[in-house]
Amino acid sequence: MTFNLTLIAIFTVGGFIYSLILPKSWRKWTLFIASLLAVYALQPPLLIRDMDFILPTITIFVAVFVWIATLPRTDNRLRMTIQWRDLFTMAILILLITGLAMTRHLPSEWQLLTASRPPDPFTIFLALLPIALLIILLGGAQINQPRQRLALSFIILIIIGVFIILKTESFAIGLSGWLREQTGRDASLANPLTDLNWLGFSYVAFRLIHVLRDRQTGKLPDVSLRDMLTYIIFFPSLTAGPIDRIERFQEDLSALPDMNGRDPSRIVVGSTRIVIGIFKKFVIADSLALFSLSITNAEQATNAGGMWILLYAYAFRLFFDFSGYTDIAIGIGMLFGVQLPENFNRPYLKNSITAFWQAWHITLSNWVRFYIFSPLTRTMLRWKRKPSSDVIVGIGLVATMVIIGLWHGISLTFLVWGLWHATGLFIHKMWSDRTRKWYNQFKKKQGQLRLWNWAGIFITFHFVVMGWVWFALPDLNTVFSVLGKLAGVGF
Amino acid sequence: MIEMDEKTIREKIRAYITADFIRDPDYPLADEEGIITGGMMDSFALAELAVFVENAFNVYIPDPDLTVAKMDTLNQIVARVMRDMK
Repeated sequence: MTFNLTLIAIFTVGGFIYSLILPKSWRKWTLFIASLLAVYALQPPLLIRDMDFILPTITIFVAVFVWIATLPRTDNRLRMTIQWRDLFTMAILILLITGLAMTRHLPSEWQLLTASRPPDPFTIFLALLPIALLIILLGGAQINQPRQRLALSFIILIIIGVFIILKTESFAIGLSGWLREQTGRDASLANPLTDLNWLGFSYVAFRLIHVLRDRQTGKLPDVSLRDMLTYIIFFPSLTAGPIDRIERFQEDLSALPDMNGRDPSRIVVGSTRIVIGIFKKFVIADSLALFSLSITNAEQATNAGGMWILLYAYAFRLFFDFSGYTDIAIGIGMLFGVQLPENFNRPYLKNSITAFWQAWHITLSNWVRFYIFSPLTRTMLRWKRKPSSDVIVGIGLVATMVIIGLWHGISLTFLVWGLWHATGLFIHKMWSDRTRKWYNQFKKKQGQLRLWNWAGIFITFHFVVMGWVWFALPDLNTVFSVLGKLAGVGF
Repeated sequence: MIEMDEKTIREKIRAYITADFIRDPDYPLADEEGIITGGMMDSFALAELAVFVENAFNVYIPDPDLTVAKMDTLNQIVARVMRDMK
């Protein structure tokens, strides 16, 4: 999450100019160009030469490739051919990236749009042309629908493969060492954090898979290259979501030329969201960070009570940081006329773990529900000799929560965190299925219901908080030591 | 496939939901009642409902349409099924 106050101020002022002054017909192009530049501007500097220019370029060109590969096919050919407007977008794209590289010749204090000094513009231009041509030829292949589906599955597997390499520490170190050797640097200094920190990749990957899967199931709407790229790399949500859906995003885009730029309620609500977000992220979360659970802070705790305070502080820091960030992203989106989806809905005040997961990182949990849980359980439900419902639910929940866990990083602690939540969700499902009739009767007793509700909130919150121990700490030894200390053991 | 009118479809789905999800066939489920927001159906129930709809009415509902916003009430579910009935 690399939003800092300067950047937020620039985006906010930009949003006002965009709403109040910019001609209406320029809005879609402005969002496209701003997002394109932001991919480079938001990328943190990397130690391998040119890597902080190459990775954003790969993000953009992978999105272009996915766009062409997902163009609708009929029997043997493209149903929607590549149109002039899309070639125009492609030309703008290449010129913009080359133009960005030209800032290489400016004094370094003027190279504001790239993480470090960009590579030679002539080389970039000569490299991008054949790549663009290859993408058009490969992605635009005249193949029939079943073959397209197969090809798209292959692309999804490649994305997942890259994801696994980048998120597994040993693979990522290997890759960064190899890249260092190729560029004549000391391979023993390989460090994925400084060499391969690919901004927004986790979120971009999920948007790409959504688009690819929806083409396979025939649900993807027809969309122009410019609009798809804007969706994939939309600057307020590039770094850390929310993960929007393309059909919803496209509706907002098509409404932009008719949007009333001077609508006070949109501007006031959007700006308020940004201010609230800044307060949550930079005041509350950053203060809590001083005494929230981490390896170093965990060593300071001298009794169980102190350890619980660290853990509670961590739980609230995580919430205020991420939901504050989301408020800022949604607020900026509103200033530019795009209503990004909500990511949080009072998660710590939910009375069951199921309700928690409908209220915490909502767009991520929806994504895994649409593309993992639902297809997996539906397939099993269709089997002739299907297992019992409990078994299907169990398999579905474990698969889903493990994927959510490993999405944060492929490690044992995230795996256990995922399994912890899968277990909680499974137990809650078994319990609520078997008590539903009783609960419907119980709902009529207001007083007892309120007590029951508060008990549910207390238990759910503490279940989640116990899970954060696995989420916050990097290795099993520290986790077990902290869990022991929470119970008053091991001081 | 036999022609089915909206009323038949509605009653079939209502009977399925009260028997299989609410687990109380006598439950008076109203057309506009929030079934998911009321805590009587969850994500897995939505998947089960989708498979039921496939078998009973030959209508395939894509996974991204199985959401609280789109499938919370009997009215919404029936309208979604009717939309794709052949």
